[in-house]
Amino acid sequence: MQIPESPNGRAPLLEARGLSKRYGSTQALDSLDLAIEPGEVYCLLGPNGAGKTTTINLFLGFAAPTAGRALIAGLDVSTHDRETKERIAYIPEQVMLYRNLSGLENLEYFTALGGKGSPGRERLAEILVEAGLERDAVDRRVSGYSKGMRQKIGIAISIAKEADALLLDEPTSGLDPKASNEFSGLIERLRKRDVAVLMATHDLFRAKETGTRVGIMRYGRLVTEMSTDEIGHADLERIYLEHMHD
Amino acid sequence: MIWRTVLRNEWRLLMADRALRIALGLFALLLVYALVNGVVWTRFLERTVEAVQAGNTERADAIESELIDIANGGEPISPFADPRSPYVLGGPSASHTAVLDPGPLTALAVGQSDLLPYYYDVHIYTNESSSFQQNGEVENPLNLMVGRFDLAFVVVHLLPLLVLALSFNVLSEEREQGTLALTLSQPVSVRGIVAAKLAFRLSLVAGMALAISLAGALATGGFASPGRVLLWCATVVAYTIFWFALAAWVNSLKRSSAWNATVLVGAWLVLVVVLPASINIAAGLLHPLPSRVQMITAQREASNEVVNQRSELLARYLEDHPEMAEGVVADEQPQMGALIWAATDAVNSRLEEVTGEHDARRAEQIALVRRYRFLSPALLAQEVLIDAAGTGDARFASFQSQAKAFVEEWRQFFVPPILAGEQLSASVIPHLPKFRLEEEKAGDATRRATVPLIVLGGLLVIVGAGAGAGLGRVRGAD
Repeated sequence: MQIPESPNGRAPLLEARGLSKRYGSTQALDSLDLAIEPGEVYCLLGPNGAGKTTTINLFLGFAAPTAGRALIAGLDVSTHDRETKERIAYIPEQVMLYRNLSGLENLEYFTALGGKGSPGRERLAEILVEAGLERDAVDRRVSGYSKGMRQKIGIAISIAKEADALLLDEPTSGLDPKASNEFSGLIERLRKRDVAVLMATHDLFRAKETGTRVGIMRYGRLVTEMSTDEIGHADLERIYLEHMHD
Repeated sequence: MIWRTVLRNEWRLLMADRALRIALGLFALLLVYALVNGVVWTRFLERTVEAVQAGNTERADAIESELIDIANGGEPISPFADPRSPYVLGGPSASHTAVLDPGPLTALAVGQSDLLPYYYDVHIYTNESSSFQQNGEVENPLNLMVGRFDLAFVVVHLLPLLVLALSFNVLSEEREQGTLALTLSQPVSVRGIVAAKLAFRLSLVAGMALAISLAGALATGGFASPGRVLLWCATVVAYTIFWFALAAWVNSLKRSSAWNATVLVGAWLVLVVVLPASINIAAGLLHPLPSRVQMITAQREASNEVVNQRSELLARYLEDHPEMAEGVVADEQPQMGALIWAATDAVNSRLEEVTGEHDARRAEQIALVRRYRFLSPALLAQEVLIDAAGTGDARFASFQSQAKAFVEEWRQFFVPPILAGEQLSASVIPHLPKFRLEEEKAGDATRRATVPLIVLGGLLVIVGAGAGAGLGRVRGAD
């Protein structure tokens, strides 16, 4: 396999090349080209059905592309399922965990599944605190956790797993502003560790605050993308709405 | 690595789920209760066998001492039962009982041991009617299907329900509670995760069933037949795996937990209850046994006919020998014995004709049930479990066949002296025929189990392949 060169001489951590997905007569994703480097937070914006979640699912191998390729660190997801998943972490809109187990036990389980071994309970407890969980919540059953607390477990999994790339699907949906802000802080810390982040979201404000680049999707196509440094909040909203008109 | 991780997580989930713990505890109690039932039944059989064998010795000793007493000038205890007469010594009062020891694993599976005779009083008058036709009708399929509450019953009928309770939502619950996506975003396969989860649950269910089984075998000396113990364990494990594989297959269809539960309970109902009952009912309808009342009536008629003839013969004989009517001339008795034996032989010949049809129909019923047992894993497992326990049809048929051969041996010993009008003495006692059961060879039960186990394995492979293929299509986004 020929691994494409990125500006820093390495393959982009997340890369889509002509990535397409069709469900019956519906073209869910149409020839997406995308490359996300380490330390980049790429926010995919768009209405429901724009293809954001489909993109995430294709990177996760949850669906097979109709055409094109999804690459993680230069490896095709379709043919390197195990290797690619060892390098990524995933936080869905609702991080659902085993309700009868504690946060620490859930973290232990999913970290161990990650294939890199467990760093030990003490270290995992520290990671949970690092991810923003109160220390006294670490050993409590997840059934009593709020959504924000469960999202923090998701972040803790990615930290414990030492994931190179993070795929987020509407991670702040339903979170209160404080929890959203905390979540953005966590993403920022991961970014500084050179983690590449692909986040599908409806939240324009959070995309501008957290992202380094923003892409707007519609009808399965990436219609525009820009650096968040180049625009303000109002600009992003205006551009977004412009692209939502037929 | 994945297996260890999943197994540890499953253990934690089990420990955190009180309902699951209660279900497993109840199952353990059922197993223990079933085993206790089986052990009690085994002890009863052992006591009966012991009493029967003691009876053999007591009768032989009593006859021997009476013969010695007579030889020393004493009188027979009863003038009508002089033990020197071969038709008395070979008759019921000095009979020898052929007995079948309890099967090696009777405590685990009562099987046919509560239906079929396990001892026969053998004497020259033993016949098809009085001894070999007990409990022969297959007219109540429920009795045959459900049987006693022993370990075999729990394993065949109740264990699948526990398996289904533990596994009907093994994957669907992960999807419904949302953990499937997070799980499959890790470098693991659905097959690997489900296999590890089911392996944990299999180890719990099969582990408990095997532990109680082995404890029962240990307590009742079953380890004297290690091959049978091994066969039992292999069948329990294969049958348990079949139900887990079926649950995995249904889960791979990506439907809801409620749908899975409905389908799996339906499968249990069909495979464990409906099919076996239907096959037994079909056997009864297609090959109905002659009415037992009719058979007994026919037997009585045949017997009466011959007995009437015998009476005529006897009357004629006594007209010629009026002194015999007084019963005072001992040296003429042997001739009467020959006459009685000749009449008995005639009765036996007639009875064989009457019972022949019954036997043929029953054989056809059994053949039909055996032919269609492949439709139900429950029937297959039950057949092998009971056979492994030594309480199946085959061991009882072997015993009955040996007992019949022993009846012939007994007659061959006594009929010649009866016809020759000889008298016997105490010296004959040590030479009386004795029944020695020739047990099946070690591999006989295993050989009989080969086909059912291969079929069960085949069903397992089919269901497992379906589950494997279905699970291979499951994605995190489903």
